[in-house]
Amino acid sequence: MQELAYERPTTIAKAVALMARDGARALAGGSDLIPQLREGRRSASVIVDLKHIPALNDFRREPDGTWRIGAALSVAKLGAHAEFAREHAALLASARMIGSLQIQARATLAGNLCNAAPSADAVPLLIALEAIVEIISADGVLSRAGVESIATGPGQTSLVPGDLVTTVLLPPPEPRSAACYLRFTPRREMDIAIAGSGVVLRLDDKGVIANAKIFLASVAPKPMRASTAQSLLIGQKPSAALFTAAGAAAAAECRPISDTRGSADYRRELVAVLTRRALADCARQLGVMLP
Amino acid sequence: MTSLHDTAPIAPMRVVGQRLPRVDAGERVTGRAIYPADLTRPGMITGLIKRSPHAHARIVKIDATKALALKGVIAVVTSADFPEIKPNTIIPFGETGADAWVSAVIVLARDRVLWRGQPVAAVAAVDAHVARAALDLIDVTYEPLPHVMSIAGAILAGAPLLSPDLKPKGFDTGTPIVRNAGSRTLIERGDTAAALQSSAVVGGVDAVIDTAHQGYIEPHACVAETDAGGFVTLWASSQGAFQTEIQTAVLLGLPQSKIKVIPLEIGGGFGGKITVHVEPIAARLAQISGRPVKIVMSREEMLTGGSGPAAAAQIDVRVGADAQGRITAIAGHYLLDTGGIPGTPTTLLMQASAACYQTPCLRLEGIDIMTNKPRTEAYRGPGGIQAAFAMEQAIDEVALKLNIDPLELRRRNAAVTGSLMPVGTPFPSIGLTTILDRVAAHACWRDPIAPGSLPRGRGLALGYWRGTSMTSAAHVTISGDGRPMVTMGSVDISGTRTTMAQVAAEEFGLSIGDVHVASGDTKSAGYSDAAAGSRVGRTMAAAVSEACRDALAQLTRRAAEKLQTTVANVTYASGVFRSGAAAPASISLADLMRATLTDGAIVGRGVSTKLPFGVEIGAHVADVEADPETGQVTVLRYTAFQDVGRALNPVAVEGQIEGSVVQGLGWALTEGFDYAADGRLRNASLLDYRMPTALDVPPIECVLIETPVPGVPYGLRGVGEMPIVPPAATIANALRRALGVRLTHMPMTPERVLAAIKGANFGKASG
Amino acid sequence: MKSVITCEINGEPRDALADGRDTLLELLRDRLGLTGTKEGCGNGNCGACTVLMNGEPVCACLVLAGEAHGAKITTIEGIARGNTLHPVQSALIAHGGTQCGFCTPGIVLSAVALLDRNPHPSPHEIRHAIAGNLCRCTGYDKIVEAIAAVAHGTNIDVKPAP
Repeated sequence: MQELAYERPTTIAKAVALMARDGARALAGGSDLIPQLREGRRSASVIVDLKHIPALNDFRREPDGTWRIGAALSVAKLGAHAEFAREHAALLASARMIGSLQIQARATLAGNLCNAAPSADAVPLLIALEAIVEIISADGVLSRAGVESIATGPGQTSLVPGDLVTTVLLPPPEPRSAACYLRFTPRREMDIAIAGSGVVLRLDDKGVIANAKIFLASVAPKPMRASTAQSLLIGQKPSAALFTAAGAAAAAECRPISDTRGSADYRRELVAVLTRRALADCARQLGVMLP
Repeated sequence: MTSLHDTAPIAPMRVVGQRLPRVDAGERVTGRAIYPADLTRPGMITGLIKRSPHAHARIVKIDATKALALKGVIAVVTSADFPEIKPNTIIPFGETGADAWVSAVIVLARDRVLWRGQPVAAVAAVDAHVARAALDLIDVTYEPLPHVMSIAGAILAGAPLLSPDLKPKGFDTGTPIVRNAGSRTLIERGDTAAALQSSAVVGGVDAVIDTAHQGYIEPHACVAETDAGGFVTLWASSQGAFQTEIQTAVLLGLPQSKIKVIPLEIGGGFGGKITVHVEPIAARLAQISGRPVKIVMSREEMLTGGSGPAAAAQIDVRVGADAQGRITAIAGHYLLDTGGIPGTPTTLLMQASAACYQTPCLRLEGIDIMTNKPRTEAYRGPGGIQAAFAMEQAIDEVALKLNIDPLELRRRNAAVTGSLMPVGTPFPSIGLTTILDRVAAHACWRDPIAPGSLPRGRGLALGYWRGTSMTSAAHVTISGDGRPMVTMGSVDISGTRTTMAQVAAEEFGLSIGDVHVASGDTKSAGYSDAAAGSRVGRTMAAAVSEACRDALAQLTRRAAEKLQTTVANVTYASGVFRSGAAAPASISLADLMRATLTDGAIVGRGVSTKLPFGVEIGAHVADVEADPETGQVTVLRYTAFQDVGRALNPVAVEGQIEGSVVQGLGWALTEGFDYAADGRLRNASLLDYRMPTALDVPPIECVLIETPVPGVPYGLRGVGEMPIVPPAATIANALRRALGVRLTHMPMTPERVLAAIKGANFGKASG
Repeated sequence: MKSVITCEINGEPRDALADGRDTLLELLRDRLGLTGTKEGCGNGNCGACTVLMNGEPVCACLVLAGEAHGAKITTIEGIARGNTLHPVQSALIAHGGTQCGFCTPGIVLSAVALLDRNPHPSPHEIRHAIAGNLCRCTGYDKIVEAIAAVAHGTNIDVKPAP
């Protein structure tokens, strides 16, 4: 591990200036970055700690109902807001699957996103809920990007050196919609998803599926949209058979690898089950009795 | 969990048998207990180890020039800095002695590396950052050699021969030699093949068990220091201070008068801290640098070749029975993965797996097989869980085939006092039938399984462990105020200071707060074997009680003088000597010592050697639930029955059983090394090497049965090893009844469970 | 690159010179001699190094030393008040909840943090709160019983020696 300078900016402007340095890396929770640096899986010469920038600790609702979540806000603090916990129970539950309580005291949604692990538990629902991130580039330009566009592969993102993700913007859930993320791990805690499935389901007035979004974890180089499964659902009435078919479609279209955590075949089996169960959970939340 | 203290009537005692907190618990809960990694010595520097990136290679050259030139680097050592130890350099060690050559190869490779992570060099530097940089500057040239990572691969005709010069032992004329075998052991009586042929039913299981790790939370660590005269002091976290001293002295070529091992607290060992790993390296670096050296292994180092894991195995078992459920024959074939160095023993685990049953015909064949994995070391009842995983499932198969209740089948065949042990001699007292009666009467067996939405099943398995006795030494001196002070030759790995304080307090009729017990260093205590094999509690209790009685005999002579009577007239109880003569007189122990301390020290001596074995027997019952769509297994209820002889301290006994069971559940369900084809360990972290968390295991209910062992002080049996033996088989048998399939590959991960349910062979992700 | 870290540890002001690569764990153990906090894995997977940082349990191995600058840190050395043990400590002693003791400091910190935010946890909540702390000796039962005893205000006195 090379020599490391630790910097603690208190304004976004200072953080942006620091991020422009060679070898600069943003530190939010650090629960991924610090072991990666020690094991040489990532390198850095300047660590820019974001936690002391007030704006990056924002956690509030904007007038249009969008939640503004600062990039440095820990998952533990996310749970402290009762209104948020009610409105985004499924997303919160997915974030609370990350590591242990000790990890959650540090880990952030933005960090989970920018670390770009295919197994990131909070990301499938962030995408499905159409979250957006605010990014400030090295030359100070503010831009917005859909969460789906950030991860490009394992540990790889579309961010360019100097880019700083400052905020996650989470729109309010649509009416008559429900969300659920299920993952499978051999242990109940302190584990990494062998496969995960995050679902957002919206019904119209007639109880027909108006929209369905399914994103899968740990079965592709990045969180993956199950397009076939989604289109299978849209325009249909919820039913157990439909959900089973959607699960099977998701399993067929995902692109898992075999590694120490599980074989590709096993991951496909899990995707089918988790997707079907997540859909059924959404239906239950929406008060639908499945035929 | 609260135990059902199922006590047979034995005489109550004042201190022995009481539920007492550990005497050293206060130090532990406040963070004041000192482990070697916590120790700092003036001028201390940091040692780190460079390890092989190859599973098998010849070492062509090691060049440390660049590392030594780095500012802050103080010393580098390789095997060239140690005397060469030849194979079969036998050193004193337990029942059989040990080969110092094995320790030498584990500590530092010479000429050839046999597994990834085997040490090839070490560096000492001013701090860990510099030492890490220096490791990268040590240039090692390797010539890679073909490697083999599994038993199945190693025994194939074309497999690379890992030890071409070795002549496998135990293969008599006519027995074909198994490739890469270390040695073969055969236990046989009767015509097993014929008996199986004519049996009404045969239950069989071919089991594969992956390598697992003992998983102690404290990584290996030590501090070494030399004085101006070349005397080496080692602060160690070891299961045996004397074993560490002997191994280190031999590896350094040092007389034992020039080295002392001071045992510090030990953060778990479970068999993995008997062989030395870092100690000789730290000592040599200290000798060369003249500075105290601390070495602390990282978790990754420990998992990838820095410590010795528990053996992988391939075990095939056949059990024949007649139509009435009487066992006619037991055949077992045990291949044990010894890693890169031969010599992992097979005999105890083979015997243990068949010990619970009477059978006219028996054939157990065990062979250790070399692979390019770290040399296997002991893990709690070594080999027992692997062997039971196969045997207890085969017994369960017989029960299923005959449609006999599995408990009833075991009752019909249970070993009893006087029936033949696997080795062919009669069993001394064995209370297996009592245990089975207790199981039958207990709610965990009588009550139906609680209903649930997923398939559920109940499993039963037995466990046996012989344990060992070896030798233990203690001495007791008496302070000027009459307080007994015990020094033990054993380290305290499982509460020995507490249990021995109970023994000393009992012997002296004092309160536990009036006695002091410490583990001595190797220059202040008598030789004691390692804390291993469930031996220390039993044998040290014998040594301590003998030392106390010796001291009391000396004190009684002194009291007789003071009371102006004869020794025969003096009685002692609860800290007071009384003269029983016509004119009663008394003197307290405290007053006696105040009056006579300067007349000379009282030193009581106790040595226990070759105490009768305190065999451990138990039965485990589990209810499990399995998700047939994911393979997830949930253990709903777990009950462990065990004959402990006499529970010296029931809290400690339950703690041993609960911990041991949970270790067994970990290996049963989620723990297994996953080696890639190139010899890399793919799950070298505590994230992917999955030991159970508090959420992964149910409360463990302990049922203690106490039938004291004759000829052993307090009738003690071993406790801690047996409970790891049955869990995997218990779960497998429960899953068989829940799902209708046999799980024969351990750990029984969710993926393997689902594959078994579906009859599918998922693209193999892990060995 | 070294810098001075100023923070409050167990209520006391502390200064230490730390390398930029040092973690909070190294700061505590190697620079400040607070060795009660243990290293079991170095990757946040075992919880042996659990400390409270501004009141929240964190793995000290996953925090850079620099991040501790200006923070309030509670380690195992700061849990007892002088010689008066915290009820969690007393209960662990009384219930046999510590064996080898290496995971114990982390367990104590996780338990204290739990009881601070939830004084009456269920057994499941207790198991969840210590799920980030691996223990290899006890099988967890006696730890869970000890924490439950504190939560229910029962049976935390160490049984007097006979």
